[in-house]
Amino acid sequence: MTGAESSRAAAAFVSPAAIVSLAIAAVPLLFILYTSLGGAALSLEAFENLLTSTLFKRSLYTTLEISVSASLISLLLGYVVALHLARQPPRRRAVYMVLVLLPFWTSILVKSYAFTVILGREGVINLVLSWVFGTQVALPMILNRFGVMVGMTNYLTPFIVFPVLASLLAIDPALYRAADIMSARPMRIFFTITLPLSLPGIVAGVSSVMVMSLGFFVIPALLGGRQDVMLANLVDFYTRETLDWNMAAAIGVLLLAMVVLLSAPALWMRRNQLAGKA
Amino acid sequence: MSNAFDLKDPLKRRYRRFGTLLACLVYAFMLVPSLIVIPVSFGTQHEVRFPPREFSFELYQIFFSSAAWTGPLLQSLKIACLTTILALATAVPAAYGIVRHDFPGKKAITLLLMSPLVIPAIVMALGLYLYFSYIRLTGSTLALVLGHTIYVTPFVIVMVAAGVQKLDSNLEFGATLMGAGRYRMFATVVLPQLMPSILAGGLFAFLISFDEVVISWFLVSATTTTLPVKMYSSIQWEISPVIAAVSTMLTVLSFVICMLTAALQRSGRGQ
Repeated sequence: MTGAESSRAAAAFVSPAAIVSLAIAAVPLLFILYTSLGGAALSLEAFENLLTSTLFKRSLYTTLEISVSASLISLLLGYVVALHLARQPPRRRAVYMVLVLLPFWTSILVKSYAFTVILGREGVINLVLSWVFGTQVALPMILNRFGVMVGMTNYLTPFIVFPVLASLLAIDPALYRAADIMSARPMRIFFTITLPLSLPGIVAGVSSVMVMSLGFFVIPALLGGRQDVMLANLVDFYTRETLDWNMAAAIGVLLLAMVVLLSAPALWMRRNQLAGKA
Repeated sequence: MSNAFDLKDPLKRRYRRFGTLLACLVYAFMLVPSLIVIPVSFGTQHEVRFPPREFSFELYQIFFSSAAWTGPLLQSLKIACLTTILALATAVPAAYGIVRHDFPGKKAITLLLMSPLVIPAIVMALGLYLYFSYIRLTGSTLALVLGHTIYVTPFVIVMVAAGVQKLDSNLEFGATLMGAGRYRMFATVVLPQLMPSILAGGLFAFLISFDEVVISWFLVSATTTTLPVKMYSSIQWEISPVIAAVSTMLTVLSFVICMLTAALQRSGRGQ
């Protein structure tokens, strides 16, 4: 097949999807940009308003704070699981994998609801504590920062496990045998072999988890309080409650910019890996 | 990584046991929310409690006998089915074209098709809301189906492209050599071999659409409310115990689809 013929064939296969994506993904993004500039006015007023709005600044700070801490905690939790999975023989690994896949596919609403049952004022944990101490215990664990963190780390952990596991499985077992023969201590093996060689997985996992958490909407809305309004909730507030579409769109543009900046390290890492293989 | 001789070292064994203990705690943390809704769903409507004091199917009866819940359920099923069909119809040929052909602008088009993986759902939801308000489509079932289709397309492309990469391109070349046209070859040689990946991609698309809440939250109207949107507002305002029954059914659905796709991918690999 000649190049031109191949292009023509490709056009036939790819164009339906490309047209739908242009019409339903690219055009809406342009609409956001257009609206953020005040429509035909092409002014930066909405962005100026954002920078002077206390509500926005507080919510931006909250979003960054929650995203960074939730990503780091999920990294710790996910790494422990990935290490355990990497140690298993393939058949048993497939079985343990289900324990990661089921939560991965569980609806975020089911999880949020479950956490209101577990952490609520009359939830499982408070019930158990009341029974143990023999008095009425009602620790506030939802509608505050704690609830948001528990919900988000729970949701994000599987997204760390997959890339880190892939990195761990790619480590040449001969390195471990060599370390063993040299009688290196387990800690030393971890810090000189396992951790540095799993770095690509860590970078990929953390950056994708950060990207996801910047746009979190459901969990802060259902498990957080007034102090935990994230940018996504602010978009909802401006769009549907105050009907200030320009402000909502300006936040959307900023979120998009942050996400693109954050996905850069993962893409760069992948390209380096590909270059390394070639 | 694990072999018998390195476990003789007691220090190493202690670290390993500690690692396993930590991992089990994290597995439990990840699984508990998916599982705890099951016992709660067999309680009664007067209290949300774990463990429930008495066993009953009351919450399921309420769910299936109230139009406020079955309406959104049917709506979600309809949207998920239409989304799956539309996404498969566009994404399967696209995945094939991307893997097998080189063409000008391939990188840009691939980026466009995969972009919903990175763009936050809230940003897509806002964009679709502004755009569909402009063309007066907001609130319609069509708007929801189109929004969901864009959202699930990259997942289907990834799964199907992986399937195409495993195919033997000599068969396609052979068919073309024997005089089969491009579409005939695709329909009779490629599609049958791709069935496991297509089914797996379709199941994923269905589940993602059925569970999707952020885009739907922006696009629904009172008459087109989906099950996740109904759940979302229900958790936000009243925490009705019926949600436990819905959650249990959703968890079972996720589990079944997760197992089916795993089996399909394994059968695809066996070919």
